[in-house]
Amino acid sequence: MSAPPIEDLAAGAARGRRGGGLFRAAWGHGRTRVGVVLTALVVLVAVLGPLLAPYSPTEFVARPFETGVDGTVFGGDNRGRDVLTRFLWGGWTLLLLAAASAGLGVLAGTVVGVVAGYLRGWADEAIMRVNDMLLAFPQLIAALLVMSIIGPRTWLIVAVIAASHMPRVARVIREATRAVVEQDYVKAAEAVGLPRWRIMAFEILPNVTGPLLVELGLRLTYSIGVVAVLGFLGMGLQPPTADWGLMINENRQGMLVQPWAVLLPVTAIATLTIGANLITDGLSRAAIGIDRGVGK
Amino acid sequence: MFRLVAVRLFFGLLTLWAVSVAVFAATQALPGDAALMILGRDATEARVAALREQLHLDQPLVVQYAQWLQGVVRGDLGISYSNRSPVTEVLNGPIGASLTLMGLAALAAAPLALAVGAFSALRRDRAFDHTASLGTLVTAAVPEFVVGILLILALGPGGLDLFPSVYSRNGGPEQWVLPVLTLAFAVAPPIVRMMRATMIEVLESEYVQQARLKGLDERTVLVRHALPNAVGPVAQVVALQLAWLAGGVVAVEFLFNFPGIGKVLMDAIENRDVPLVQAVVLLIAGVYILVNLAADVIGLAANPKVRVTR
Amino acid sequence: MSSRPDPAPSSPSRRTLLKVSAAGAAVAPVLAACGGSGGGGGGGGGEPVRGGRLSVGVAGGGVNDTLDAHNPTDNVDIARNFALYATLVRYASDGTIENCLADSLEPDEDATEWTVVLKDGLTFHDGSPVTADSVVYSLRRILDPDAPQRGAGDLTGVDAEGLEAVDGLTVRIPCTEPTVTLPEALAEYYNCVVPEDYDPREPVGCGPFKAVEFVAGEYSLFERHEGYHEEGLPYADELEIVDFPDDDARVNALNSGSVDIITQVPHVQVPIIEGNPDLDIMESETGMWLPFTMRVDTAPFDDVRVRRAFRLIVDRQEMIDQALAGYGQVGNDMYARMDPSYPEDLPQREQDIAEAKRLLAEAGHGDGLEVELVTSDISAGVVAAAEVFQEQAREAGVTVNLRRVNPSEYWNEEEGFPYPFGQDFWSARPYITQAAQGSVVGAPYNETMWGEHEEWLGHLEEARRTADLDARNELIREAQEIEYEEGGYIVWGFVNLLDAHHASVGGLEPAVSGHPLGSYAFRNFWKDA
Repeated sequence: MSAPPIEDLAAGAARGRRGGGLFRAAWGHGRTRVGVVLTALVVLVAVLGPLLAPYSPTEFVARPFETGVDGTVFGGDNRGRDVLTRFLWGGWTLLLLAAASAGLGVLAGTVVGVVAGYLRGWADEAIMRVNDMLLAFPQLIAALLVMSIIGPRTWLIVAVIAASHMPRVARVIREATRAVVEQDYVKAAEAVGLPRWRIMAFEILPNVTGPLLVELGLRLTYSIGVVAVLGFLGMGLQPPTADWGLMINENRQGMLVQPWAVLLPVTAIATLTIGANLITDGLSRAAIGIDRGVGK
Repeated sequence: MFRLVAVRLFFGLLTLWAVSVAVFAATQALPGDAALMILGRDATEARVAALREQLHLDQPLVVQYAQWLQGVVRGDLGISYSNRSPVTEVLNGPIGASLTLMGLAALAAAPLALAVGAFSALRRDRAFDHTASLGTLVTAAVPEFVVGILLILALGPGGLDLFPSVYSRNGGPEQWVLPVLTLAFAVAPPIVRMMRATMIEVLESEYVQQARLKGLDERTVLVRHALPNAVGPVAQVVALQLAWLAGGVVAVEFLFNFPGIGKVLMDAIENRDVPLVQAVVLLIAGVYILVNLAADVIGLAANPKVRVTR
Repeated sequence: MSSRPDPAPSSPSRRTLLKVSAAGAAVAPVLAACGGSGGGGGGGGGEPVRGGRLSVGVAGGGVNDTLDAHNPTDNVDIARNFALYATLVRYASDGTIENCLADSLEPDEDATEWTVVLKDGLTFHDGSPVTADSVVYSLRRILDPDAPQRGAGDLTGVDAEGLEAVDGLTVRIPCTEPTVTLPEALAEYYNCVVPEDYDPREPVGCGPFKAVEFVAGEYSLFERHEGYHEEGLPYADELEIVDFPDDDARVNALNSGSVDIITQVPHVQVPIIEGNPDLDIMESETGMWLPFTMRVDTAPFDDVRVRRAFRLIVDRQEMIDQALAGYGQVGNDMYARMDPSYPEDLPQREQDIAEAKRLLAEAGHGDGLEVELVTSDISAGVVAAAEVFQEQAREAGVTVNLRRVNPSEYWNEEEGFPYPFGQDFWSARPYITQAAQGSVVGAPYNETMWGEHEEWLGHLEEARRTADLDARNELIREAQEIEYEEGGYIVWGFVNLLDAHHASVGGLEPAVSGHPLGSYAFRNFWKDA
């Protein structure tokens, strides 16, 4: 997993006013549309899945890893539960956790980034130094360390991933803020004597929506990956929850006998991350395009 | 310039120290008496008491931390709970195995990625460029363990059955193929992208334009003038990718049952082997920080303006 | 993390994987009285072939591997112990006890003194004779009060000081109390006979193979003990035992031909091995059980109606099917399946949700009951069983919350052991020995806190003092009925063990012990050239 080219975006960022046209501009890229279709497909499965599932996610319909059982499409999983049902049930937890941790991380990072970028001086210096230290901790290792100590809890998964996003988002938003701070309207607002928090909330924030949206997309892609990998390592959601990451962990031993139980969630995760990344790429291209005034 | 590097170094060390505090503090929160864990279920009270004293468990936390840090600096990372031998001994083999795995992955990925990136820059906005960029977008997005599983299902026993999907001590060299390939897929995309961006920048630079104006043929321009200027930023990305590898190996090693530090970490977590968890986390974080530091320094040296976010 | 069967960590394997005595029908007939030849069993077909090297992949192993005769811990240690050493008496495949080094082992009238006579002409690997002094030395090493070995607990009745070599081949074993279970204890592999001045670093024994090379956590290479006392055995010239902590790697090694035999095939892999015509699977029905444990002194399980209800919640066949992939036999809330006293005639308990609900309502849980079940990957199938129970209990209005504990900490009091509602795994043992390990007050793993029951205890203690087998079984039967009605265990099934080997390997025969490869009977194995 790695970042789309957002580096150059951060610096010049939000000179164009609102990010409203961003979506339209992004939609112009064919890849974005493909990304939206892929993502929508997986989201649909995840959201509607539980309604369509033929069985309860915990009832037994087959022997462990048995395939070709009457009444099932893909056979049984490691305990003999219906693979299709588990698959249909296992997506929304992943989406929810990923969305929550990305949202929280971007929120926290934005606050820190805007404050640091606007205040400047020693506050900025201090915040960014701490930020650099947080950045130095590899994301997955940090998550594993905390999970192994406190134990896998749902809120903890969200908190740990959000915390690891925070410094990364802050860095980008700070750059964008610094560019905005130089603008006339900010200077004007300061001259009128608006309180600082109002300036940050109503003058700066709306003008960094471009990088903000790109960050959100990017962090969402990462979050999906991290939530999934935690599940795969057995450090995420715990049995008997139906969860795509966990499903891969539980069923990988039987991969050769019963490939569906692994292949379905693996395909879904791959499709989702690819879709999210294509959208993010579209957004970031659009943001750069707007900056350069070429918005296609 | 020198001052900048010194400042970076200072903060790098500070970060390392902060990480050591965090790791120590975090693992202290684990339940269970270290002495009891080491001695196992047949521990007698007297032996537990003796070991507690030997491990300084009866001292305040600050003292324990100081003792521990002293040990870390000396390369003494304590005794593993689960196999009761020095942590350094336990880690010896796995570190070598992981380094080899990462090295092979880097060797497999870097040349190809650099070539694809450079070629994309030359064929900018043409079919090759678009295909390559889509390819990197796709591979960059998919979590590495997913790539690994797909590889197993395609090339491993699930599909063509060319390579084994689990590592075993007495297996042949072919068992390295899938783990190396998985990691290579994971590290390549950013290198491709960085190489492409840098090459475009360099190709558009006045410097190269001038070389062209001088009438040098494209080949010479490329090899003599463009490529050397791309080295700095690309080296930085390669270094960062290697640092990422240090953390990324965990899931891949877990998947392939590869006996490296990532697997040691997962086993240690499973067994609540605190000294081992501490050592591995510290090791991975340390490598990550040092390589980041090196990347920063390389970046500064090559071009003070270039900074890469990850 | 889930799906890691057989973690073989130190604590569970430390627990005595005791074997069985006595006939448990259902299982392959006993061959090989001591001195007989191997043969029969799986694979190979045809006549035994002498020579060659057998390579065996055994589950488990690690840097703590040891060849110490009296202190094997891990699976791999146990395998090597069976290869290097021999005991006075031993368990046959059907669980009965037969003579091995001993020519006879006889008690006096009240079982307070036993006399053992060795076979003539036995030799250790170094060529020295096995004598009465060796036996005395071995027992004293096991019982050393300063460093008691693993078997010390089984031999508590033995008066170590009073051991006496009557002549070159005869040993008198005095006991401080009637000890009817002495043959069972002496049949344990870890209570084997070693020469005087035994040094574990030079592991000399009198088993079928002698040590050549050994690297802890990796492998060992043994060669034929020419002086082995069973005529014509062992067949193989060399025996290599390779550590395989990882399941997949073990199966791969068999598939690729780098080993001839492997132990403990994970259920998932069975179809793969069955699909390969060059490989065979040996399935052994064993007396190993994976109970749920309910603490009879803790709410809500201090109410016998709740315990009964929980026993009625379990659909035992579904447990076997889902948790063991069908490789097991249904249990009837009674352990010691291979003991001749096993109450086959007690009615088989079946799932009865209506009755369970009625009992729960009577006990005041009519609006539903919420309990925590502590589970851990202590043995393959344990966590699966917990998940299956969680699902089955739902029907009876019981909400089961699973708490997963690391295997290495499962028996840790700081984690809360013994848990109000937990799980465990036990190998097959006779009723009296098992009760001593898990059911009486003060037993090392009394996880149900059973044993205060005076009537039950009375029967058990009397049985312990009764040398006459029939009378003893009568008393045991009384105790069993009480536990069947009121006890804290849910014994839902017994585990079948799956080993696999190349078709060219012969001489394998299932055993009820719960130890793989028919109690690692390497002496009987051969390989077609």
